[in-house]
Amino acid sequence: MILILVLSLTYLTYLGGLGELPPNDVRLIAKNYLNLTYNPYVKSLWASSPEAVTAIVWDYRGLDTLFETVVFYGAVLAAITLFRKVAKEKDMLQSKGMSVVVKRATAIVTVAMLTVAFSTALHGHLTPGGGFQAGAIGAVAPLVMIVVFGKRYLEDRGLSYGRLLSLRNLALTGIGVTSIALFTYALIQGGFSFIFQNQGKSLSPYSFPSYTLDVPSGGILLFFNVFEFLAVLAGFTLVFLILLGSDELLSKEFEGGENGY
Amino acid sequence: MATLLDWALVIIGQALITIGVFCDLAAAISMLRFPNFYTRLHALTVGSVGGAFVPIVGVAFIAAGSEFLGVYRWFLAGSSLVIAVVELLLAGSGSHAIARATHRAKAAPTQPIIVDKLEEERGG
Repeated sequence: MILILVLSLTYLTYLGGLGELPPNDVRLIAKNYLNLTYNPYVKSLWASSPEAVTAIVWDYRGLDTLFETVVFYGAVLAAITLFRKVAKEKDMLQSKGMSVVVKRATAIVTVAMLTVAFSTALHGHLTPGGGFQAGAIGAVAPLVMIVVFGKRYLEDRGLSYGRLLSLRNLALTGIGVTSIALFTYALIQGGFSFIFQNQGKSLSPYSFPSYTLDVPSGGILLFFNVFEFLAVLAGFTLVFLILLGSDELLSKEFEGGENGY
Repeated sequence: MATLLDWALVIIGQALITIGVFCDLAAAISMLRFPNFYTRLHALTVGSVGGAFVPIVGVAFIAAGSEFLGVYRWFLAGSSLVIAVVELLLAGSGSHAIARATHRAKAAPTQPIIVDKLEEERGG
């Protein structure tokens, strides 16, 4: 039965029965992107980023990525809401963590993890990677540290619910402020600019600096990547911090209020 | 032209990689032939230190001696060395963590065994 379904679907697709197949010149779009993302000769269209993916994600369709970030923000918010009873509390279990050998090795490697994450964020406009990827890499560091050192150890040293929450809010606000910074600047100068504008267009000459000390800095993309990195890092860490609580703490959430309907 | 130093670096690197191949082979055989969990863990660490750390250092040497790579050989050599150091740190501490947890939880039989100081210390 499944076989017949698959075969008939394959046949239909082969015949083009499910609608028009994409045209052969669909690669023109990719060609245009590659031609224009880092093309100093057409400065009214370029994104000043040698990395085409980052240019597409944060410049050509920046608003789309902003909403993706907001979706992630909301998802983490929903996770916190489910665990709202225990989210703000410190863990009552004083875990000693793993042995001293593992602790030392983790302490050294954590620095390396955070360094890789930072460089992925800061080089997001030069090499593959970007804000979200950097945040996902960086979130491994607190995850490993919670397992190795124990959750209470980190909480006693300042990794708290409130701080992570404010870091997330700060990062999202940063993305918002960056997207209208050039607009505000143009208004003060008495000109006109688009929201989410990176480099100058034919209608408005204002643009973010595309070079810092002779290094391509990608204009607005650098700021977006750094803020996205902070938002994703804080979001993942928050979820790990809540979900990796001890059984004693988490059972308070699961036991429920009352039995029956 | 490749200088004498370049040749020396490449040959040292190849020797290290050969040692790594031997360690990997020994680790694979002893992983199958050793009698219990803890000795097999030793084979695992031989494989990850002797069979991964040493050849990556060898790769760093070979990259440093390959002048046709231009300036990029230093990137290759540097990243190989960093990877090697991280590997050395994590291989040892990882197998330590596994062995410690297994011994504490008594999850694997320790026989055949001659002496178990850890058990005596715990008064078992």
